[in-house]
Amino acid sequence: MDYTLDLGAVTRNMGPLMDGLWVTLQLTLAANAIGVIAGFALALLTTSKLAVLRLPAMLFVEFFRCTPAIVQIVWFFYCVPMIFNVFWGPVFMGIVALGLNLTAFNAEAYRASIQAVPREHLDAGIALGLSPTQRVLNIVLPQALRNSVPVLLTNGIGIFQQSALVAIVGVADLMYQGKTLATATYRPIETFTVVALIYLAISYPVGQFVNWLERRQSYS
Amino acid sequence: MGMTLDFSILLLFTDALALGLWTTLRLTLLCIVLGTTLGFVIGLLRSSGNAVVRGLLGLYVELFRGTPVLIQLFWIFFCLPLILGVEFSNFVSATIALTLYMGAITSETFRASLRSVGREQMDACVALGLPRRAQIVNVILPQAVLRAVPTLLSNAVSLFKESALVSAVGMADLMFIGQNISNNTARPVEVLTVVAAIYFVIAFPLTRAVTVVEQKLLRKFSA
Amino acid sequence: MADMRDGSALVEIRDLHKSYGPNIQVLKGLNIQMMPGERVVVIGPSGGGKSTLLRVVMGLEQIQGGSVRFGGKPYISAKGDKTVIDTELRKQIGMVFQHYTLFPHLSIMENLILAPRKVHGESRASARERGQKILERFGLGAKADAYPSQLSGGQKQRVAIARALMLDPKLMLFDEVTSALDPELVAEVEAVILQLAESGMPMMMVTHDMWFARNVASRVIFCAGGVVVEDGPPEQVLGDPREERTREFINRVFHIKA
Repeated sequence: MDYTLDLGAVTRNMGPLMDGLWVTLQLTLAANAIGVIAGFALALLTTSKLAVLRLPAMLFVEFFRCTPAIVQIVWFFYCVPMIFNVFWGPVFMGIVALGLNLTAFNAEAYRASIQAVPREHLDAGIALGLSPTQRVLNIVLPQALRNSVPVLLTNGIGIFQQSALVAIVGVADLMYQGKTLATATYRPIETFTVVALIYLAISYPVGQFVNWLERRQSYS
Repeated sequence: MGMTLDFSILLLFTDALALGLWTTLRLTLLCIVLGTTLGFVIGLLRSSGNAVVRGLLGLYVELFRGTPVLIQLFWIFFCLPLILGVEFSNFVSATIALTLYMGAITSETFRASLRSVGREQMDACVALGLPRRAQIVNVILPQAVLRAVPTLLSNAVSLFKESALVSAVGMADLMFIGQNISNNTARPVEVLTVVAAIYFVIAFPLTRAVTVVEQKLLRKFSA
Repeated sequence: MADMRDGSALVEIRDLHKSYGPNIQVLKGLNIQMMPGERVVVIGPSGGGKSTLLRVVMGLEQIQGGSVRFGGKPYISAKGDKTVIDTELRKQIGMVFQHYTLFPHLSIMENLILAPRKVHGESRASARERGQKILERFGLGAKADAYPSQLSGGQKQRVAIARALMLDPKLMLFDEVTSALDPELVAEVEAVILQLAESGMPMMMVTHDMWFARNVASRVIFCAGGVVVEDGPPEQVLGDPREERTREFINRVFHIKA
């Protein structure tokens, strides 16, 4: 190849990359805060006996699960200001868009783990004379929450990776800064490789932690 | 909201959207086939093979699972040609990128399903005196592949969705054409909603199918 | 009788040691000699090494000491860290497990003919013919094309026995084959084993069902703490045990206050 590697082009410009990483982390953490809380509420709605609550909730979940995240984000950035006449800052827009996406995926995770609580445990709760509320609070939720943790973490790290999509709509995250730097320095190999490794350096340990957690849970 | 929606505007662009969808489907199907094959081979090699091979393949898998698909695409589109000194068409670059991504996630699927074939099945093979080859070809692999089917299907749906990312590197798929129409007509709400609906109409039945297949297989393997 | 060294025994287990990891010793110098035509039922408390014993004889386990001879020939022996198993001799032994272990992706007939074809190179047609005969003998003639998931537990276990018999074993091992079954399905499986017993098939069996043990056994071995505690005819071991530990165990399982 007629291309000599020059990592200096990247190391001299770590400042913008770190700024971008900070934005990426903000997006990730805030979207996770939304996803973990709203996802749980949405899961309760999708398991509701009332169709007026259940059906819209399920539609919400399916819409986000069955369309590309990039379509969701582009739609959100172009259409929300037009439809609702609101103009938020790009990072806040990114947080809401990613947060809604994660809400749908986490709702599914919560729902699956609520339904995975064995029927016999509820029967045992009835046999022990626990009230419906007591059964939910003391039997279903503790098990469901515990079982959903690995999937929530996997989804959370997934949204960390998906957050790179906001670069396409001009949010100055790690991906965006990388793209800008690659173009400005004509150093795509060094820049994109370093950016990829930064993403990996954060995803990988969390992924290993999830593996460890799952192994531990499957033993007990 | 001070705007009126006019979806009829989309009728002017049905041909363009159909062309974009065709590109999306062609790319997705090709990468599903290539990526699943790659993933199967890598899953097998990672379950056996020597330590060096296992280590290198593990590195590949973690690299593609641990980074955004978008940066994988950028890397393949902009860096690979520089390194190899060869120019690829958009379609070839996209195929390479999505195949490598699909191969990485699918190899994990196969590895997990190989592990899920219980030790008791191996005991039965030994008790029947089956030669090593028959143990693998006739007992372990068919079960592993069957068990992998639901996850493979969800991987395929994921890839269909991820394929929309190629629009960001200038490939004229459904998303790219949708965005162009949206920009040219200044009607993003109608156009982007329809684009989202097209993706949904294809992906939703597939995710339902995954659930059905999963339940059927669960029943079969309850034996 | 431990001194019988004339090589006429079908199975001869000598000083067998087996442990899982460094701390868990399951078999601690176990000796059994089984003559041709015998039907040995191994009883004893959980964790006493009964199932491990059967798994060792099947050649499924590594052993840490001792040896097993089969048909007068060296079959399994511990050589240093390694366990040497004669895989040709192993092919003459069949085993049925507690959890059926049918191959779920294959039909009943395919389950039956896989091993004869792959092990003995038998033709598909000939194996199918023999398979159909065995299935009919066990009352499963109509199930050849069904899949394991479509059968009841009792039917699955009968198929598992049929599958093992397809290889014409010289010894059958049954490891708690009725323990996973609903009570009403136990009899149909036991009937098949009794049928085999009447045809003279040598067998070694672990079971918790003492009534069945008495019916099928020509000899009962009480195994506890990794060694043979008592070994004799069923009337003796089950009815009037000589050893105190056997007596306690028998009384407990028959709910008789000592």
